[in-house]
Amino acid sequence: MRAVMKTIYVCSDTVTGIFSGIYDAWKAGMTEEECGIALKGMLEQQLFCDYVEVEETEHKAIAVEALIKKHLGRQAYWDIYHAVLSSDREKGDAVLGTMLAAKTLPDSTKIMEHLSHPKVEKVFELSRNVGGEAHALKGFLRFRELENGVLYARITPKAQVLTCLAPHFADRLPLENWMIHDKTHDMFVVHEAGKKWVLLWDELWNDMDGNLQFSEKEMEYERLWKGFCHTIAIESRENPRCQLQHLPLRFRPNMVEFDEKS
Amino acid sequence: MRIQESMTLYEKLNILTDAAKYDVACTSSGTSRKNDGTGMGSCEQSGICHSFSADGRCISLLKILFTNECIYDCKYCVNRRSNDVVRTSFTPDEVCMLTMEFYRRNYIEGLFLSSGILKSPDYTMELIYATLYKLRRECNFQGYIHVKAIPGANQELIQRVGFLADRMSVNLELPTAESLKMLAPHKTRKKILTPMRLVQTRMTENKQEIQLYRNAPRFVPAGQSTQMIIGATPETDYQIMQVAESLYQKFELKRVFYSAFVHVNEDSALPAKTDEGPPLLREHRLYQADWLLRYYHFQAGELLSEENPNFNVLFDPKCNWALKHLEQFPVEINRADYKMLLRVPGIGYKSAVRIVKARRLGSLDFQDLKKIGVVLKRALYFITCSGKMMYPTKIEEDYITRNLLDSGEKLPKEITNMGYRQLSLFDDVRFRENFYESSYENHICM
Ligand code: SF4
Repeated sequence: MRAVMKTIYVCSDTVTGIFSGIYDAWKAGMTEEECGIALKGMLEQQLFCDYVEVEETEHKAIAVEALIKKHLGRQAYWDIYHAVLSSDREKGDAVLGTMLAAKTLPDSTKIMEHLSHPKVEKVFELSRNVGGEAHALKGFLRFRELENGVLYARITPKAQVLTCLAPHFADRLPLENWMIHDKTHDMFVVHEAGKKWVLLWDELWNDMDGNLQFSEKEMEYERLWKGFCHTIAIESRENPRCQLQHLPLRFRPNMVEFDEKS
Repeated sequence: MRIQESMTLYEKLNILTDAAKYDVACTSSGTSRKNDGTGMGSCEQSGICHSFSADGRCISLLKILFTNECIYDCKYCVNRRSNDVVRTSFTPDEVCMLTMEFYRRNYIEGLFLSSGILKSPDYTMELIYATLYKLRRECNFQGYIHVKAIPGANQELIQRVGFLADRMSVNLELPTAESLKMLAPHKTRKKILTPMRLVQTRMTENKQEIQLYRNAPRFVPAGQSTQMIIGATPETDYQIMQVAESLYQKFELKRVFYSAFVHVNEDSALPAKTDEGPPLLREHRLYQADWLLRYYHFQAGELLSEENPNFNVLFDPKCNWALKHLEQFPVEINRADYKMLLRVPGIGYKSAVRIVKARRLGSLDFQDLKKIGVVLKRALYFITCSGKMMYPTKIEEDYITRNLLDSGEKLPKEITNMGYRQLSLFDDVRFRENFYESSYENHICM
């Protein structure tokens, strides 16, 4: 008996990277047992595996996006896209497995209803978590006004949610200059008033938050807001456990109303 | 009455927030609107929570009173004219500035503007109108606005305000006309229902206008809500649910909010003050039942009756219903219709949808149900999968009651120390850890 060699496509932890990996695996026409996707820097070398470095291109990523949208539908694409943004090491495999499973269905657009399939279940769950974190941050993110009038927000999310947040704030604050800094992943979204937002990777900027100069008005509004948050609570209903359940501690360091000093 | 002339904005905000905090509605849901590119703000259908205060309630809107001056004397209210408290009012400019600057920093989804009655209902409504007009037309604010319609104000004025707001509400205050007479001597049921009806009628007309002219201005697009105080007067849960039901049916309200009575005034007409604090568990049960009316196709008369007029403290209303209707169980997961699935304890409405979809692809077993998010430890007494129960159990009220309680059906502790657990409402337990997911409306925002 001969062990089947499994081909593992190794790519970077980005949408382009993972979609490029899926592109290569899909092209090779292998079954779920014969191939897999692994992320650079999170590899666990195993026996009987061939590791192939993926050449990552926009072209491949766009092709995979189109493939998913066409065959699995937009809703499934939404789930897959969100799953790819998660911090889970096996997300690439889950997506690839889901796409392969969809091939076996008479109607592949129904794939996300197939929750008893472990890979589909995984994509579903990852997507829910990432979607949940993005939704939470739409509320919990705080902008602070810099001296030059630019609004600056720092977040430390688990998943790479910037591309989920950017369209939301671009729509909401079209006439403002703002930027959101994802400190976990060294990424930025920058929006110039009246223009489209752009996504940047830049480690150099990463220590900038120590030296930020805030506008004069900023402190005043922060004080007003803190006062509001404090006063709005009804004392006889105080319930820190319920507060904690809804607003986990990990979000609080980036929220002015939970900043003890000043 | 004390009116302080020179007051900082900080002090005003503090007073007018403090005076507004007993209003329970905070949701920013019910309408979705994109920015047109020329102003600031947008609305999300599901609403967004921006923070949570120490009482565990969601902060979504800048909830303030325009003024805490009031010519009325509602016995339960901090702002009633006979109370000796510091009075102040915002100017329309101040409200606009706070809203815009808070919104820009992503503190809030929008504004919730209520008010005491300054001089007269018309005078007050005028001020509110002037504020909203400025905010919408001069500041070009496109975020969410929830505003109170003041009973007794000119109809024309209320209508004009409705074209600037997303949601309007008129407080029912108390469940019955008698209670109202007792505790809010300047208000009558009729005065309250008139503007409610007006908003309803205008909304219906507006829907037709929009069908004809797509760009017709929108009137209260997020609908109308109301709230009533629970526990200040002797109504039973059954009476309260019947009132809520008829508000949903006859006035097409989007939401009815229940507000556990908080003792702020000493008054012989009010229940005596105790150490127990506001009746939170009762409020919680009412919210659960309210959900059953709106999303689970239940009717008030199924949940309670003249003989049995109050909710069970131990079990949520759905579980309680199931225990009293064991003849309808067990339900076969692979065959039961959607409405029956909704009635199974442990199956939430999202899980029910997932079950109906997933079983088309093959029959489901208990393992699948777990993945779908069904709370098996509760559901197992009421369901079969392909004819089999999960464990051999008796379908008997006492037996199930005992088992549910043994399996940590939490309550007794809650009853004593009032740990307020809103989420036990939603049966999709597996996803509960991640509450955001369960969409904002799911965890009741009060
Ligand atoms: S009308 Fe009644 S409830 Fe409203 S502010 Fe005045 S006293 Fe309070």
